[in-house]
This record gives sequence, C-alpha cells and structure tokens, in this order.
Amino acid sequence: MISTFQGIMDAARDGGARKRIAVPSVKRGDLNLLSRAVKGGLAVPVIVGDGRAMEALVKKSPLTSLEHEILDVGESGGALPEAIRLVREGRADILMQGGLDQKAFLGAVLDAKTGLRKGRLASYASVFQLLKSDKLILATDTFVNNFPGAAEKQLILENVIGLAGLLGMGSLKIAALAAIEQVNPSISSTLDAAVLSKMSERKQFGNAVVEGPLDMDCALSTVAASRKGLKSEVTGNVDIYLVPDIETGYLLVQALVFIGRMKTAGVLLGTVRPVILNIPFVSGENRLVEIALASLMCGKGGGNNG
Amino acid sequence: MGNSITSLNVSELAREKGPKKLAVLAPEDEEFMLAVKKSWELGYIEPVLIGNAEKMEQLAEKIGFDIAGFERIVENDRQAIADLGIGMLFSGQLPVVSKGQIPTSFIYRSIIRAEAKAGSGMTVSVASLWEVPGLDHLVAFTDSGVSIYPDYKTKVEILKNAVFLCRVLGYEKPRIAVLSGQRSFGGTLPSYRDYRQLRKAAAAGEFGECEIIGATSFTDIFMGSRGRLRDDGRIDIRKMPHIILVPRLDTGNIICKLDFFLDVKRCSLLVTTRGPVIIPARSDFSESIVEQVAVGAVVADRMEGGEVK
Repeated sequence: MISTFQGIMDAARDGGARKRIAVPSVKRGDLNLLSRAVKGGLAVPVIVGDGRAMEALVKKSPLTSLEHEILDVGESGGALPEAIRLVREGRADILMQGGLDQKAFLGAVLDAKTGLRKGRLASYASVFQLLKSDKLILATDTFVNNFPGAAEKQLILENVIGLAGLLGMGSLKIAALAAIEQVNPSISSTLDAAVLSKMSERKQFGNAVVEGPLDMDCALSTVAASRKGLKSEVTGNVDIYLVPDIETGYLLVQALVFIGRMKTAGVLLGTVRPVILNIPFVSGENRLVEIALASLMCGKGGGNNG
Repeated sequence: MGNSITSLNVSELAREKGPKKLAVLAPEDEEFMLAVKKSWELGYIEPVLIGNAEKMEQLAEKIGFDIAGFERIVENDRQAIADLGIGMLFSGQLPVVSKGQIPTSFIYRSIIRAEAKAGSGMTVSVASLWEVPGLDHLVAFTDSGVSIYPDYKTKVEILKNAVFLCRVLGYEKPRIAVLSGQRSFGGTLPSYRDYRQLRKAAAAGEFGECEIIGATSFTDIFMGSRGRLRDDGRIDIRKMPHIILVPRLDTGNIICKLDFFLDVKRCSLLVTTRGPVIIPARSDFSESIVEQVAVGAVVADRMEGGEVK
C-alpha cells in the first residue's frame, strides 16, 4: 500500500516505462515542473503548439537540455485538439492542462464525442497525506460535478475506488458526508448517502464499505460517533470522503490546505487516460506528485519511451 | 462597548461578569453534567437544569455534583424541554441557554416559534466560532445549523445576524467572505450570484460597517486570483476574514467541524433577539463545553448591557 506522497513518486518511478505527457501550449511556469519530471525519470513531455513560440520558451528553461518533443501545430490554436488526439490514439499517455484556459480545456476533455471521457461520468479526486501519520486519504468529487445526485455519486464512487485500488488501499472505508448523521428527507445529501450506504451493504461496491450519512465529527472520531449512538468500522478511520456537492468539496479541500496546512494533489478520473488539471492550491512540488500519480494510473504498459 | 474578544478562552471575563443564570436543556450525559459542574465552580453560571429527573440526579451523583440548591425542572419530552428553556430566555428570566443532550432541531423550532411570537422578524441562524492559531480575532462560520439551502434573502438575514454577533465580540468593521463552489467552468452557481449581489448590498451600506471582500474561496482569500501555493505551504493566516458565509448547510457544517481534525477550536452559538443559546455538539467533551459556556456568559453579559445596537 502506498501511504505517502513520496511513495507515489517512488512507485511511479519503479513503474516501468516513462510516460509521454502531452502538454498543449505550455506556459513558462510549467517548464520547471516538466524538467523535474524528466529528471526524475517520470515522464517525457510532448509539447504541442506553435513550434517557434514553444521552442523559444523551452530554450530559456532547463528543459532545453533534457529529453522532450515539440509538436508544431502552427499558430492556429489547434494545440488542444491535437494534444487530445495524441492521447486518444495512444501516442501520448497523459494529458496536462498546460497554459490553456481551464474552461476551454475541460470542455474539450469532457466532450462526449471528441474528448477523453471513458464512461458516463468524469470526476475529480483530491489526495491528501495525513500530517500525523503515514496514510493517504481521498476526497471526491472536489472539482468537476456541481450537484451530483445519487446515480452520479455511484459513478463518482466507482471512479475513486479504482484509484484507491491503484494506490493499494485495501478494505476501503468510505464516508458519505452530510451536515447531519441522521437521514432527513429535506437534506438531499443525507438521502444520497443513505442510498449509497445501502448499496454498499448489498456489495454493489465490492468490498468497499460506504457509511452514510456521516457528519464530519462522526467521520473523524469514533468517540464522537459512539456518543451519537453510531457504530461503524468507518468512523475515525476513513479512507475516502465522498462530499455532497461542489460547494462543499471545492471548499473543504481548500480548508484542509490553507487552514490545515495539508498537502494535496489531484487527478481527473473517468477518462480513457489520466488528465492533470492546473489547480492553484496544488503547490509546485505536489504537481510533480500529480504527474507521478498519473503515470501510476497508466499502468506498467504504455509509454513509447521505455 | 467592551474590548474585542480574540480567543475562545474568555474564562477571566466570564468569571468577572458571572455567574449568569443559564438554562441547560437536558444535561443527561456525563460530559454535559461535568461541564455544568465546572462552569458553576468557576463562577460563570448558575444552572437551571431541565430534563429527566432520574438521569440528572444519577449523573450529578456520579460526578459528585450537589444539584440540590439549583432550580430543576423535570420534563421528559424533548420539545417541551427546549420550549421551557427558550421560554425562560424570552420572558427575561435568564440571559443565556445551553443545549444539552438533545437534537438541536428541537431548539431551533422553539426559537423560531419564540421569535415569531415576539414579532421580531428575525431569521434564526447559527454561527460556529473558530479560534485559529496566529489570528487575532475569531472567525464566524454561518449558517452552520439552520437553513439547509438559504436563498439570497435568507443569506441577507444570516449575514445581519453574523454582523451583529461581530459587534458583540467587539469587531467594529468585520471583513466578510461569501463562499461559493464557483470555478472557472461549470456555469455560474447560484451561490456565486448571491455573492455578487450581497457584495453590492454591503457596499451600499445594507449591513452597516463591514466589508464583503472580493473572494469566494479560501484560495481567493489567501492567494488572490493569481499565483500558486508555495512549496513550503506558507500563507498569511491574518487574511482570514471575521465572517465566512457558507453557501449551504452541508458546506458549513462539514467544514466548521474540522476542529476534530485541525488545530482550531470551535464554539457554536445562536444569537436570539433575547440572548445567546450555545449549542455544543452532542459529541463535544466537557472541557470544550465549559469554554463554550463561558463564551455564552460573556455574550449574554454584553447583550444584557445593551451595549450593542
């Protein structure tokens, strides 16, 4: 089981072939990151964009003396579709947001026809390393879906369970969070959580145990839970936090980063190949972890750079 | 107005201003009864105990607390317990109430009815006060308890309540962040529209002296719209505003209870037109409840004094 960010880096490095990472319209700030990824033996960047402009940027960065490719698509703004095509056709393993506007980038990536979506739903998972012990926890969906219902949350869970498996997390304990631990039909998150919890009882998520609704105190503390009369193997030992909606997920992750001083990295799930977004509350160092995580998700195969 | 309150440890003030008569709604749990005992011994409060007679007596005996000298009201029905305590607050018999081991919804119901009866027009909302290390003021997360999906009008009222609480705490010009899950994609969320509208209303003076800052997330608050989190994780915690208006109940409740995980302390309370009702979580421990009782006593004192308009 991988229990630290360093562990993710190590596992990715030991994972065999270096992955080709397609970066449309790279921006200056990402060049250092990509250089580190090359040096660390994680990936080889394939920079897609206006050849001359890209060349000029790379020249001024440490990447210039390291292995990389530049794919010239001219000035026409065709960098993103070309990068997506590379990934879809298996000529690159990972897609990174690069210097593109997030709205345009995600719009293209999630496009049902021309994008990279694998199943019915793409979602985002945030990975955290606990401060006081070597353990990774996941939170989802913290970036993509606004107000998923129970059906969407089932898919969000399936996506994240896949990621957890890759990290070697066994016998998963999942907290379906809500404002209160009781089922209240006026609070839809409690209904969704109860449904998912029942589904897990029926083994619809394999061996993963989904407990919900759980409020945050019950999720975090076995003692708190038992004082509220709640007994569950999930309380006080959560691997995955399923958030009710984006208002909660997006803000919860940031509360953990800015007030809890926790490190976070994240990845898009439910795509044919890993996609790395550019999120400002992920530090530079942890963006490298995101590349490692994406490499890990590619599996042992892939990579034309073995 | 008194000095501003910068931490949840207000023991000195509470002792100086106490004892305040405080109704405890169902002290039927050892941690709660222990908290009542300590708060009494520290001179913060004089309790009025409302709840199941046997349970209260057994607990008091178990922890060596002589409750013979206190006013006791025997009642088993949860709603009736809440109604009795809140009734005493609204009739002016006492200035502060504390939740014990009963679900908060009963207390909300009592307060909503009492405010309606009093014709105050007040929207009932909960503020969870956080004490964050390195910060020279408390942070009020609101509404962390009552409104499930507050609309714009409700948020206006929630904000008014929070600004009032800030005045009680001695913050002359509170900074406010109206949070939203808004990202650069995914359409415009209603909570983001509310933010824009509330910011205009605040600028027009609807909430008195205060400022709604140009931020809808912690990233905005601490990093503005540019930049990237530093590798050393260093941020300036002093950028934290006085009030965090959350988009919905799930968000507020889930984030404010991170005190179980992070290095922050929490005290949840509801300020009615007649005084504060503190609402410790049913999972809080006595030490934390005692602190919350002290905050309740101090807020009650400031409201009694009529120092806050």
